Amino acid sequence: MAEVAPLLELRGIRKHFGGVAALGGVDFDLRGGEIHALLGENGAGKSTLIKILGGIHAPDAGEIHVGGERVAISDVADADRLGIRLIHQELSLAPNLSVAENIFLGREPVRFGLLDRRRLFANAEALRDELGLAEIGDVRARVGTLSVAQQQLVEIARALSVKARVLILDEPTASLSAGETVALFTKLRGLRAAGTGIIYISHRLEELAQLANRITVLRDGRSVGTQDAARLDLRELIRWMVGRELKDHYPRPPHRPREVALAVRDLRGPGVNGVSFELRYGEILGLAGLVGAGRTELARVLFGIERMSGGEALVDGRAFAPRSPSDALAAGVALVPEDRKRQGLVMTNTVGYNLALPWTREWLRGPLVNRARRGEIIASAIRGFAIKTAGPAQPVTALSGGNQQKIVVAKWMERPPKVLILDEPTRGVDVGARDEMFALLHGLIERGMAILLISSDLPEVMGLSHRLALYRGGRIVRQSASADISPEEVMAVLTASAADGVSETFPQK
Amino acid sequence: MNTDTSTPAPPRRFALLFRHPAAALIGAIIVLLALFAFWVPGGRFLTTENLLDLAQQISVNAIIAFGMTLVILIGGIDLSVGAVVALVGVVTVYFLPHGLAAGLGMGLLTAVAIGTANGALAARTRMPPFIITLAMMLVVRGAAFRFNEGRPLAAPAGAQAFFALGTERLGGWLPTPVVFMAAAFALTAVLLHRTRFGQHLYAIGGNREAARYTGIPLARNETGVYLLSACFAGLAGVIQASQLFSGEPSAGQGFELNAIAAVVVGGTSFTGGVGSIPGTLLGAIIIGILDKGLNQAGVHFSLQSIVKGLVILGAVFIDARRRR
Repeated sequence: MAEVAPLLELRGIRKHFGGVAALGGVDFDLRGGEIHALLGENGAGKSTLIKILGGIHAPDAGEIHVGGERVAISDVADADRLGIRLIHQELSLAPNLSVAENIFLGREPVRFGLLDRRRLFANAEALRDELGLAEIGDVRARVGTLSVAQQQLVEIARALSVKARVLILDEPTASLSAGETVALFTKLRGLRAAGTGIIYISHRLEELAQLANRITVLRDGRSVGTQDAARLDLRELIRWMVGRELKDHYPRPPHRPREVALAVRDLRGPGVNGVSFELRYGEILGLAGLVGAGRTELARVLFGIERMSGGEALVDGRAFAPRSPSDALAAGVALVPEDRKRQGLVMTNTVGYNLALPWTREWLRGPLVNRARRGEIIASAIRGFAIKTAGPAQPVTALSGGNQQKIVVAKWMERPPKVLILDEPTRGVDVGARDEMFALLHGLIERGMAILLISSDLPEVMGLSHRLALYRGGRIVRQSASADISPEEVMAVLTASAADGVSETFPQK
Repeated sequence: MNTDTSTPAPPRRFALLFRHPAAALIGAIIVLLALFAFWVPGGRFLTTENLLDLAQQISVNAIIAFGMTLVILIGGIDLSVGAVVALVGVVTVYFLPHGLAAGLGMGLLTAVAIGTANGALAARTRMPPFIITLAMMLVVRGAAFRFNEGRPLAAPAGAQAFFALGTERLGGWLPTPVVFMAAAFALTAVLLHRTRFGQHLYAIGGNREAARYTGIPLARNETGVYLLSACFAGLAGVIQASQLFSGEPSAGQGFELNAIAAVVVGGTSFTGGVGSIPGTLLGAIIIGILDKGLNQAGVHFSLQSIVKGLVILGAVFIDARRRR
């Protein structure tokens, strides 16, 4: 294999942003017909590297060879011409356009100089069906009305809509359900067999074992090395990346349930079709479900963003029917939302601003600012949650994804809520930060908080939760202690066809 | 497995034609027409002659508003259009003694220069378009006043063709400004709703980063939009100057605001990414009917302004409610 010229070769790629070196000399090669995983913690330079390949950033130094020839990629059009297609981690869709318009953006079919919409929609439908991405739904629907997961599928469809020589995927499964992940992998293996070179970035190490031929690890803007995936075990890989060993991948905190914190009976609301459960202090209830199962909708109703339309909820035995997030917070229910950047943080502002924001009543009396009190709130949050920041005045954008996520949790903790709802808390954070998030949950449980955990990462939600509620079609179809159910069984329940009828009962173990 | 959480698809045929539920706007127009038919004394409102006159009065605002729609659609704003009306009018008249072609040519050149400057600054610097075009408005207005020490510049007596440009009635009945408006409508509507250029404007307005990552040339598209806006303002300026038969440096005061009102009433979102040319036309018609109707009904001008303000507020309020 060594004598074949690699499809893509990078030599000594360097990139500085201001005075900061994002890449300090990266060597990398990709063969045709392989899936080459790129690993590294956030800030290791993966995103910068692929943006250079995609023509979004220009490298300061180094050489790029495609098919043995030296090339310059100075803009997106160059990358397109070379057959390099990029699926971004950040969704890069126009929410006001339809699915089809997004997929073919920049390559719209034209007839006599005018847009050919009929062909546009037909092509999009054909592509969707060919790729087996039925969950995308109507290609005429506006992207803004789709769920995050559906949008991710649209991104994938877009990248696969032209024949690519090099396909780069940045965390494509971050918001996909298990079933969609399997479908994507099948597709990627097919592309590999057809000779496409694939660069695959993921924090889900388990995936790489199933998928990758080779793995290159980046650390601090340099390639640490490349090895065949078959020769590595997971534990070794993690150590390689972070330079330390992770003890237990999913350390479940001890289960010491106390009295019921949140009781929900036949709760109804937009996308919520009769949900009943009890959540006790000192316990994590995991909501496992496929994307689109309606778990986020439940979180929105419980946090008062959407109104309940039926059933009842009790917090500490008192009726709880929030009409706004401030109602929910007053009753002791807080939410860490799904989309950190849009819903969790004020991205244009500082660490301190975001941490102090929920507590203005504490430090702002009319026109008077109690700076000492504000500083105290911020300092205790930074300390209490070990947020890695240069200080309260640092912009949140300068923080890693993991530390941003900690802020979203920590900002509620000046007076800890009774019930904390976490919606996909580890999406898009690296292995190390994920571990810290787990430790954080551990600490909250030890303080006796009641936690409702929504996660599409099945091993994660099964590993962390004390009890599991399997969620489908806006309702809980089965509840079980986590230890009493196998992942295969969970998947079977979650993917059971809707044609079975929603009122079916599942055999209890 | 069915995980369908998507909302129902928008009504297609209309969406393609208008990209905007135009029914409410058309309804509003009918209501306003009926209202003024009764209100304006002597049934003078709903006569052919009066409606043609109305169409002519709408034309100038509509032409400017079509260009403004493109600008607002990509999340920008162009405050300089009113001043462009004045300067292009003055420049055109100034060069008229050298012939109609010289006048129109120099007028066009002026508009192109201003539009390119606006567009290049908006696309290639990090300055907000509001500030860029606010400054440009002052510069251009000042330039218009420099030509004849602030006094109107009379067109040469022999310039009959120029006079006809904005005042002639084709076939004896159709005012030329309406023809220009129809042409501007067709051009911008096709451009926005039927070409890749238009498609890319929606993408830029909806998610600028996405457009960039897709390889859409942002600077070129953005410059093109401001260029079109200035050119349409220039066309309006020529029509105005022809009607006044002089270059009026104080012409076009507040035209930018009237155009923005038409665009917004027509359903274009101020944050970008949503809007349509037919919507803007309907918006301009509504503003025009209000202006003329209230005037003919004998409403005091102070009240006219209040009513117009409330109508704009109401239209945008209803639109925002429907979008939620």
